[in-house]
Amino acid sequence: MSSFPTVYSITESEIDLNDLLAQITLTSTGAAAIFTGMVRGETKRGDAHDTEYLEYEAYVPMAEAKMKQVADEIRERWPVIEGIAIVQRIGKLYPKTPTVLIACTAAHRDTGVFDAARYGIDRLKEIVPVWKKEIGPGGTEWVEGEYIPKPGE
Amino acid sequence: MNRVKLLFFATIRDRAGVKTLELDIPVDLTIQGLKDKLALDYPNLKESMKSVLITINREYAFDEAVVPQNAEIGMFPPVSGG
Repeated sequence: MSSFPTVYSITESEIDLNDLLAQITLTSTGAAAIFTGMVRGETKRGDAHDTEYLEYEAYVPMAEAKMKQVADEIRERWPVIEGIAIVQRIGKLYPKTPTVLIACTAAHRDTGVFDAARYGIDRLKEIVPVWKKEIGPGGTEWVEGEYIPKPGE
Repeated sequence: MNRVKLLFFATIRDRAGVKTLELDIPVDLTIQGLKDKLALDYPNLKESMKSVLITINREYAFDEAVVPQNAEIGMFPPVSGG
C-alpha cells in the first residue's frame, strides 16, 4: 500500500488537474473522484452577497502535515483507494478560480471513491490551517470556521 | 526560562500587529498560562485568547499542555480553507 501515490501541497500556482490526475493514476486505476472548489462571485444562499476576491493564507508546514494526515485517514477508512491528491491554492484568488482540489483514485467507481473524496474535502475544512479573507463591495472580512479540533487531531 | 516562538495567523495576526513573536516564558508554563500571560501583556489579544486555537510544534494543543522547550506555537481562529 505504501507504493500508492499521495500528493499534497499548498501552492501559489494554478492548480493543474491533468498533472495531478496523471500522478495518482496507476495501471490498475479505473476511476477517479475529483472535488474542486472555486471562488464564488455571487452568493445567493443565506446571507446573499457579492465577492470581488478572496485572499488565502496558510500555516504552510503544518497545513501540509495535516493534508498528509487527511490522506492517511482516507486510506484507513477506504483501503481500496489507490492515489490521493490534495492541493490548496493560496494568495489572491478571483471568482471562478479553483482554490482547492481533492482527488481519489480506485480500480472501480463503486469502491467508495466518491465518499473518500467527500471525506477529504470535509476534513480539510476542519483541520488544515488555512484561512481566507473575503473582499467585496461592502468591505473586507475574515471568514471564520467553526470546527474546534479535538486532542489527537 | 524557555524561549518560544509564537506564530499568529488571520484575525489573531491582525490584532497582534505582527506575524511572529519570540518570548521568554517560565519553564512548565501551560497553554492556559501562556494565554493568560498574553492577555495581560498584550491587551489587543485579550479578546482573542478566549477562542484561539493553539498548536505546539504543528500539532493541536490544549489548555493543560505544558509548553516544551523552544516550542513553535501557532495561534489562530478556526480554519476556513477550501
